[in-house]
Amino acid sequence: MSFKINLVLAAFLVGCALSLVNAQYQARHLFIDLERAQAKARQLDIDWAQLQLDQSKLGKHARIEEIARRDLNMTQLTPNRTQYLTQGDK
Amino acid sequence: MRAGGGANSARVARSKGMPFSKSPMLAVSLPPWRSRVVLFVLFAAFAALAVRALWLQGVSTQFLQKQGEARYAFTLELPATRGKITDRNGQVLASSVPVKAIWAIPDDVLAAPPEKIRALAALLEMNEADLRKKLDSDRDLVYLKRQVEMDVAAKIAELKIEGIEARKEYKRFYPQGEVMTHVVGFTNVEDVGQESMELAQQKTLQGATGSRRVIKDRLGHIVEDVGSIHEPHDGKDLTLSVDSKIQYIAYTQLKGAVEKFKAKAGGAVVLDVHTGEVLALANYPSYDPNDRRSLTGAQLRNRVMTDTFEPGSTLKPITVALALDSGRVNPNSYIDTGAGKYTILDRTISDTKGHGVINVQQIIEMSSNIGTSKIALSMPSQEMWEMFTKVGFGQQPKWGFPGAVAGRVRPYKSWRPIEQATMSYGNGISVSLIQLARSYMMFARNGDTIPLSFQKVTEPPVGQQIIKPKTAEQMRAMLETVVSGKDGTAKQAQIPGYRAGGKTGTAYKVENGRYAMPRKYIGSFVGMVPMSNPRFIIAVMIDEPTQGGHYGGQVAAPTFAAVAANALRSLNVPPDSSVTEIVIPADGGADVM
Repeated sequence: MSFKINLVLAAFLVGCALSLVNAQYQARHLFIDLERAQAKARQLDIDWAQLQLDQSKLGKHARIEEIARRDLNMTQLTPNRTQYLTQGDK
Repeated sequence: MRAGGGANSARVARSKGMPFSKSPMLAVSLPPWRSRVVLFVLFAAFAALAVRALWLQGVSTQFLQKQGEARYAFTLELPATRGKITDRNGQVLASSVPVKAIWAIPDDVLAAPPEKIRALAALLEMNEADLRKKLDSDRDLVYLKRQVEMDVAAKIAELKIEGIEARKEYKRFYPQGEVMTHVVGFTNVEDVGQESMELAQQKTLQGATGSRRVIKDRLGHIVEDVGSIHEPHDGKDLTLSVDSKIQYIAYTQLKGAVEKFKAKAGGAVVLDVHTGEVLALANYPSYDPNDRRSLTGAQLRNRVMTDTFEPGSTLKPITVALALDSGRVNPNSYIDTGAGKYTILDRTISDTKGHGVINVQQIIEMSSNIGTSKIALSMPSQEMWEMFTKVGFGQQPKWGFPGAVAGRVRPYKSWRPIEQATMSYGNGISVSLIQLARSYMMFARNGDTIPLSFQKVTEPPVGQQIIKPKTAEQMRAMLETVVSGKDGTAKQAQIPGYRAGGKTGTAYKVENGRYAMPRKYIGSFVGMVPMSNPRFIIAVMIDEPTQGGHYGGQVAAPTFAAVAANALRSLNVPPDSSVTEIVIPADGGADVM
């Protein structure tokens, strides 16, 4: 009787040990994936900062004004060329 | 045969009745102590092993575990990024981007083949001779170049030179360059704020580095975390009150004015009347914070905040407001300013010409020194001093901007009458341009003044009442006549479509405690727009104009008008005057001190 119990317990123990190995293996894999994802997130953060910076550089008012005047032949708006609309009586 | 003979002799021995192994000749007769010695040595060896095991397991276990861990566990530093600085509309003004610092172990690098060193020098944008000179050092490691951009650092890594290492660091970029630099400031190579808001907000911007402990495998890959991770905290982003559009307008107009009048320098500041926010703060000359190799003190100087000057006539409205507020005069009280000369004891105050008997409103409109002096002398010096103090002159500003100066107002007990008179029109007192702009807040608002802010304001600030709302209203009417009245001194401050008001000022420069000879001037203008419901206060100061005039009405008022017109347009403020009424004189109005 007790021999049978021992046999069952031994099998159970081996099962547990194998599942532990498997779990550890899975954990490492997931950890590597997590690391990769985090590295990617950091890289995206950096890219985002860089893009914001580029946007600000390209949106520099001096640059916009120069292009507007030189390439697009635009001139400054003055109030005497502006038609102001007022809200009508309700 | 021989072997057979051996077997025969054994048999012979047996035949004698004694077995071979029992032969006394063969008996081992070791002394008994030898076996004991061996036993003892064996026992001692086992005992030593046991003690050693106990020692390792019991006493030095912690040390050993630490040593073991040191071979596979590493502490990684998790860097924190410095916060971004943005303008009020979210446009990035300063941002940190990771770069590499390249350092070298000289002896190892010098062993590399010459063509590799040449390639390295080219990538570092250095002379090969300079690079070799840098490497010819007794130190164990030398920095070759800092703040190297990532793509260049990657190319250097590809060279695979022994002894060349890279360390991660951050470089701060300022996309708006010289336009915004006097507001934003800059950081040094260690990412520590050095000027302006970068310096003032260093603590909130910098962030805190974190760390984590990990186990690495033999290839250097991270296998797992040990213990808890200290998360890095990135620096907080900072939203400034500055509007980059208005800042650009102010800077370009100021630059134009300084160049046109061949002036030494200039400053301009734009304040939001409702919130106290600084919408623009421009100085010229300026510099590019991204390239500070040829930076001079004159460029670095933030004249609006840190330079004080005698404001001259721009101070008159404050004196007059005090007299109005205390009921001593009203806008229609007449004062005799005579023929343009007024002597107090031995000193004479003069106007540009004799204005005769004029009322208080005309004193402001024509900027009469004599009129203002007479009004001032009717008041006790203590009241004037209190007024100056209330509007912030001589008081250390608390706006969180490094280097902001207090200006100078002498204690009223030491004022002589002539000094009280000259101070009433802005001589013998020194203020910064931003203090001057802020003092006009009480006219633009209804007699109260609010603290200034360099960061975006979300809650309306609480004002401190200085003059009655009615006085503020009367003052606004007077300031408008300076711009649009027939004798106004700042006709060039007119803006098509909008009603503007303000006051000109022209002061002699003080150098080493006395007025500079030959005379050097500072022309200034402080004004507000639109008069029907003031939105902006704009102050402009032109330092040492040498060509095309030196009066505030000539040099500073046109800049005010240009900045105001563009700022109003860019913020869609509806016009409060019909366009056709405006007549801008071709020559511009003359100014008085």
